[in-house]
Amino acid sequence: MSSLDTIPVATEVATGNVEPLLHEIRHALKRLASGGEGTTIDLTRLPLAPSEEERIEETLGTGEVRAQVDALGPTLIQETSYPGVWLITHKNVDDVVVARFIEVTRIPELLRSQQADIDAGIDRLEDELRN
Amino acid sequence: MPKDQNLGEYLRLQGVSRRGFLKFCSATASLMALPPSAVAQVAEALATARRPSVIWLSFQECTGCTESLTRSHAPTVESLIFDAISLDYHHTLQAAAGHGAEAAREAAQEENKGEYILVVDGSIPVGNPAYSTIAGISNLDMLKNAAQDCFAIVAVGTCAAFGGLPNANPNPTGAVSVSEIIKDKPIINVSGCPPIPAVITGVLAHFLTFGSIPELDSLGRPAAFFGQNIHDRCYRRPFYERGQFAATFDDEGARKGWCLYKLGCKGPTTYNACATVKWNQGTGFPIQAGHGCIGCSEPNFWDKGGFYSPISAGMWGTREQLLGAAAVGAALGVGSAIAARRRQKKAQETVL
Amino acid sequence: MTLLDFALGPGLKWSLLIMIAGLTWRVVGVFLGRWRRDLSRPRSEAVVQGGLRTIITRSAPARELEKNIRFQHITGYIWHIGFFATVLLFEPHIAFFESVLGFAWPGLPSHLALVVAAITLAVLVMLTLRRMIHPVMRMITSTDDYVSLIIIISAMVTGIMASTHMFPRYETILAVHILNVELLFIWIPFSKLGHLFFWLLSRYRIGSYFERKGVKA
Repeated sequence: MSSLDTIPVATEVATGNVEPLLHEIRHALKRLASGGEGTTIDLTRLPLAPSEEERIEETLGTGEVRAQVDALGPTLIQETSYPGVWLITHKNVDDVVVARFIEVTRIPELLRSQQADIDAGIDRLEDELRN
Repeated sequence: MPKDQNLGEYLRLQGVSRRGFLKFCSATASLMALPPSAVAQVAEALATARRPSVIWLSFQECTGCTESLTRSHAPTVESLIFDAISLDYHHTLQAAAGHGAEAAREAAQEENKGEYILVVDGSIPVGNPAYSTIAGISNLDMLKNAAQDCFAIVAVGTCAAFGGLPNANPNPTGAVSVSEIIKDKPIINVSGCPPIPAVITGVLAHFLTFGSIPELDSLGRPAAFFGQNIHDRCYRRPFYERGQFAATFDDEGARKGWCLYKLGCKGPTTYNACATVKWNQGTGFPIQAGHGCIGCSEPNFWDKGGFYSPISAGMWGTREQLLGAAAVGAALGVGSAIAARRRQKKAQETVL
Repeated sequence: MTLLDFALGPGLKWSLLIMIAGLTWRVVGVFLGRWRRDLSRPRSEAVVQGGLRTIITRSAPARELEKNIRFQHITGYIWHIGFFATVLLFEPHIAFFESVLGFAWPGLPSHLALVVAAITLAVLVMLTLRRMIHPVMRMITSTDDYVSLIIIISAMVTGIMASTHMFPRYETILAVHILNVELLFIWIPFSKLGHLFFWLLSRYRIGSYFERKGVKA
């Protein structure tokens, strides 16, 4: 596919949607900081130019926490350089992105152990100890 | 998945954790174009959802819609949705054929009376029903029979939704859309040639989640996906505002990714989700690949002038016709001049 | 057939045909009509020069009158220039002219064209109100003028609404805009708006007539 790169095609397009998105994140962070609720932004629903998603990632940067959840394929959870802003990428078993979100929260819900899973775990542990 | 089981139990037995289920719900909500805040609601509904029976009828079509669906870019979500529904008849995908397959369809219709979802792709030839038959049954008869006891109909693709290509002038087979035949059932038009796979699964997911018909636009299309036109969500829109247009497919403007309006892009009059949901695992959509939108999700898109003539160019006819009008005007002018001269002469005579 | 299909198809076709037939009818009718023979001795033979000169001199008011009609003079120019800039330099319009004429020209950025259109519309609305309030203007304004004003103002309002997507369904407002302009096409040859095409002819005629008579105006 390297020959494709030699075709001079410019893609430095701007929809102008990056700035408003960053402002939305700023407002969401302020809300969170003052004890308000978290916010989730669906990245796949925004009209973005090919390079703009990368620009968002670059602007947000990477922070201290990086986690991977393996459930129905990998989900990458990355705290950005702005604490409280998380980039969540859901992939399927074929490693294809199925959904992308920016979550403004103290901890993404998906990282918490879920009640149903804890209950199932207790059952399994008890079974283990019984045998 | 047994029929009496709900989706939550089914997934748990498949070894899918609650986390996995939440992820599935997030992706499904995103797929249905619901706001992320609706995930909890989706999770609650899906956990107790019953599996709906689906009967898929393919009429005068090219199988492009089924191809689109089976190449859905969210295979996990899609396959889960497909596991979750009971696809009881799809003659392109199923192994069985002929009278046996038709008997299975009739059995499924009987068993799920009033509850099954009928998916139709392709138009129905009513000019001469013999143009398209399955096991000797005309499309018209099969549609009427299968629609009788269904809960709702999903018309997949522009052919089923609006008549599509077979309906294009001069429409040799007398092709019509589903909605022109069935009047007493809710019909959801998922148009597009083909429709975006995520939109097909999104509609099925809506049934699965809420067991109801999604909100529709004036053409019977789910508003969540067809609520906005391509132009409004197009990443090349800023070029339109700036007046930067590609004039040919290989000029500087085309290389720089400028607006394709002048090359006939129908984005401003086309309602679909291509610009955001995109195609081929989210890689792009026609405009991103450098070709204008042809308006495939709109009725009669094939007969709206050329794909490469701008919307505002219109279909005003030929220059010869305009010259003809000038000739008619000239003739009228000569006529009225003669009449005026006569009148004046008469007036002069009376004065004298 | 949707409203837009009608507007872009038969509507556009017939309005163009009617406009062209109407314009040629008027021109041919005037030229072939009976011209009164002028029996007086001409004061000047330079009727062609006189006609051409008047085309230019009538572009500005006579010096004696300038003071009284400066407002009308300036706003009139703003409105006309703004109108033609909007019609001829907005890219989708150019695409239409290209389809009819076979050639194109560079246009304005869409948002700039929008600003021009908005200013033009504001000036036109102001002039219309003045026409309705000013006692003298009111007396010389006929139904013809009001119909023309309504058609043009609504064409500009729908055009601005369409290009800014200020209406829920773009194709509907676009269709209304195009139908509105088609009404304008049909109205032009049969109204005072005929001056869009006839202003040169009528100025030349007046100029050469006055020259022959020795009138300096």
